[in-house]
Amino acid sequence: MGYPIRVLVAKPGLDGHDRGALVIAQGLRDEGMEVIYTGLRQTPAQIVSTALQEDVSCIGLSSLSGAHMELFPEVARLLREQGAEDILIVGGGVIPDADIPPLKAAGIAAVFTPGTRIEKVAEFIRTHVQIRDLPLDDGGTPFPGVQGIDHIGIAVLDAATAIAFYTQGLGLSVTHEEVVQDQGVKTIFLPLNAVQIELLEPIGDDSPIAKFIAAKGPGLHHIAYAVDNVETALAHAKTLGYRLIDETPRSGGQGKLIAFVHPKSTHGVLTEFCQHAHKGVDESS
Amino acid sequence: MSLEPRLEEWQRKTEASVAKRPERKNDFPNHSDISISRLYTTKDVPATDESYLAKLGFPGEYPYTRGIQPTMYRGRFWTMRQYAGFGSAEETNRRFRYLLEQGQTGLSTAFDLPTQIGYDADHAMSRGEVGKVGVSISSIHDMETLLQDIPLDKVSTSMTINAPAAVLLAMYLVVAEKQGVPWNQVSGTIQNDILKEYVARGTYIFPPKPSMRLITDIFDFCSREVPNWNTISISGYHIREAGSTAVQELAFTLSNAIAYVDAAQKAGLQVDDFAPRLSFFFNAHNDFFEEIAKFRAARRMWARIMKERFGAKNSKSMQLRFHTQTAGSTLTAQQPDNNVVRVTVQAMAAVLGGTQSLHTNSKDEALALPTESSARLALRTQQILANESGLTDTIDPLGGSYYVEALTDAVEERAWEYINYIDHLGGAVAAIEQGYMQQEIHRAAYDTQQAIERGEQVVVGVNQFTTASDESSELLRVDPEIGQKQALRLATLRSQRPLQAHKAALQKLRETAVGEGNLMPAIIDAVRAYATIGEICDVLRDEFGEYRPSVF
Repeated sequence: MGYPIRVLVAKPGLDGHDRGALVIAQGLRDEGMEVIYTGLRQTPAQIVSTALQEDVSCIGLSSLSGAHMELFPEVARLLREQGAEDILIVGGGVIPDADIPPLKAAGIAAVFTPGTRIEKVAEFIRTHVQIRDLPLDDGGTPFPGVQGIDHIGIAVLDAATAIAFYTQGLGLSVTHEEVVQDQGVKTIFLPLNAVQIELLEPIGDDSPIAKFIAAKGPGLHHIAYAVDNVETALAHAKTLGYRLIDETPRSGGQGKLIAFVHPKSTHGVLTEFCQHAHKGVDESS
Repeated sequence: MSLEPRLEEWQRKTEASVAKRPERKNDFPNHSDISISRLYTTKDVPATDESYLAKLGFPGEYPYTRGIQPTMYRGRFWTMRQYAGFGSAEETNRRFRYLLEQGQTGLSTAFDLPTQIGYDADHAMSRGEVGKVGVSISSIHDMETLLQDIPLDKVSTSMTINAPAAVLLAMYLVVAEKQGVPWNQVSGTIQNDILKEYVARGTYIFPPKPSMRLITDIFDFCSREVPNWNTISISGYHIREAGSTAVQELAFTLSNAIAYVDAAQKAGLQVDDFAPRLSFFFNAHNDFFEEIAKFRAARRMWARIMKERFGAKNSKSMQLRFHTQTAGSTLTAQQPDNNVVRVTVQAMAAVLGGTQSLHTNSKDEALALPTESSARLALRTQQILANESGLTDTIDPLGGSYYVEALTDAVEERAWEYINYIDHLGGAVAAIEQGYMQQEIHRAAYDTQQAIERGEQVVVGVNQFTTASDESSELLRVDPEIGQKQALRLATLRSQRPLQAHKAALQKLRETAVGEGNLMPAIIDAVRAYATIGEICDVLRDEFGEYRPSVF
């Protein structure tokens, strides 16, 4: 053990009364859990997406507006759709007794109404949460052909202002800049010895980077490992049960082939494999 | 014989007896952490004529500590204004007329969350929320239905609406127009207090700057066109519900009020032109004397702020008028009948504190929206206090109580400390942007939760005096189909309205938003052209952007 339980405290719907949610968040932290709070006005889809990205094992839903009968079951349904029904869902707020049995039938494990002691909520979560099945370490062998870290991706709101830190602050220089349209992202590369820093700026509100920033704020987005062959690395990851985002490699700009492994199975870090098309040629020559 | 030696002697004797038989606790701090003494005497409050005149004065005179009217409830009771609204406009209209028949003297409208956040009932974000915590109003049609057969020149209407307050006020004015009631005869209040939304309640739309513009535009427009409208109700209620102490409630509310007056002055308005129409909204909690002290301190502080800080000349600008609601957050789902008692104590504090209008919560509100019978009982509570208790026969009956005066001074002193600190941070808007008020409130809320869990703070029926099971009572259920019904109505409206006028009105609104003119006339024209709340707010969202809080 020793892993703290990760809990997402979420406010579905439009209700702005978050005193209870904030008190619970703080209380569960004091009980030793890692708590992420979504902030207000989250749709069920946003909550499920955050829960998966954050790799939580419990979601606590809070509502005082009477919308719980529509919104709570929808969260449970979307989790099932994502194959993540092992995530424990609990609810709280102004919820009449009569609504509790149908909520339980819909997949909400417990409903805590006002007056509940926080330690009781924590106790319930501790005894009912499933510790996620992590793939067994096969003795520290790296994926076949991992050559090193290729680059570290950092999500930024505005590349123009962020660049200053890397150029003026750290003395790096920009060697490549590119807009990857289908990803809705502008990428900027600043190499440092063998590793590059990749700044990722969203160019649309719907791009994965924009969503990442909206959910977590700017910061570390992914780590990319240079591999001999992305396909082999993917196949290896798959046999070990890691969750793939890309089943097959795709083009990642700069003539690279890339593929992602879900942060849910890599302890919270989005992991990229990347293969330089020309690199192989260079090395063989 | 003088008091001093006798008091000392009594204290000595009492300490000796306490040593043998201890008091219930070692110290008695209240929720604002003011330490309450064993006994208050004239020693605690200076009793000279000068100090009386400076700090208390007379009812209807500066600094208004004892009340804003010369006769208070001997002349007229407070307005009994029960907040109501749920489901469709038809259902809420029925509840309104029922409450008026039962002797309620003003209307108070609760809107559902989509309306409060400027979404039409058929917007994707409205899912599950339509008609739940209030009435669903998307268009002028809904507003006409809500106010059907209610004479707008006779009844004053309070509307709990903030971010889109300008739109709902516009709808109200257009309905008055259709009823043939001139705007200078309608009266009421819009809450219109956006700062507390960022702090505590969460139904914001736009960032602070354009929000402040909407508010000062309303001040300006109403001072000319709707002179009897209370253009803002600066609210401590929600700050308190979010977990603040009484002192924080008072201090943060007055700080927000200072920010509104500042903004209006910066927009070129003269303080005495708009200040008489500012009103306040406070919470009445369980600590009876602290609440009374809070209301009395609030009046004295506001009078001083208006006179000394803003240079107001009109006495109406210096009078703090306030609505009170009993504290929803103190009501328990366990043993709901106990809530009737809590509400009574809280309502008494509001009345002894000199409130101008009052909402008493219904006993079932910790479970769901009030049923008709529980809403009636809550109204009857006020009527009993007004007519049977004798609380209303003299002005400020607790004035001069050694304890109440000392506590009023203590509450005031601590509230000034907060206000001065917020000034130091750059004012309320800056303090909110830095998360200062939010953190203070959150800390107080968590302290309260822990005090309850440790049993230091008793909540009857929850952590003491519990029973094995509660009998369940009948709850109000909102029609689950209402979302679809409202969507259908909106589709009809959209297909029938004159396209050209609608488009032109929204275009004009957009131009005004980008430019500098007062937004109210453009919003009123858009409402006349059957633009919905969602469409109007979308234009403003496009031009103003949306507020995104920093996440906890």
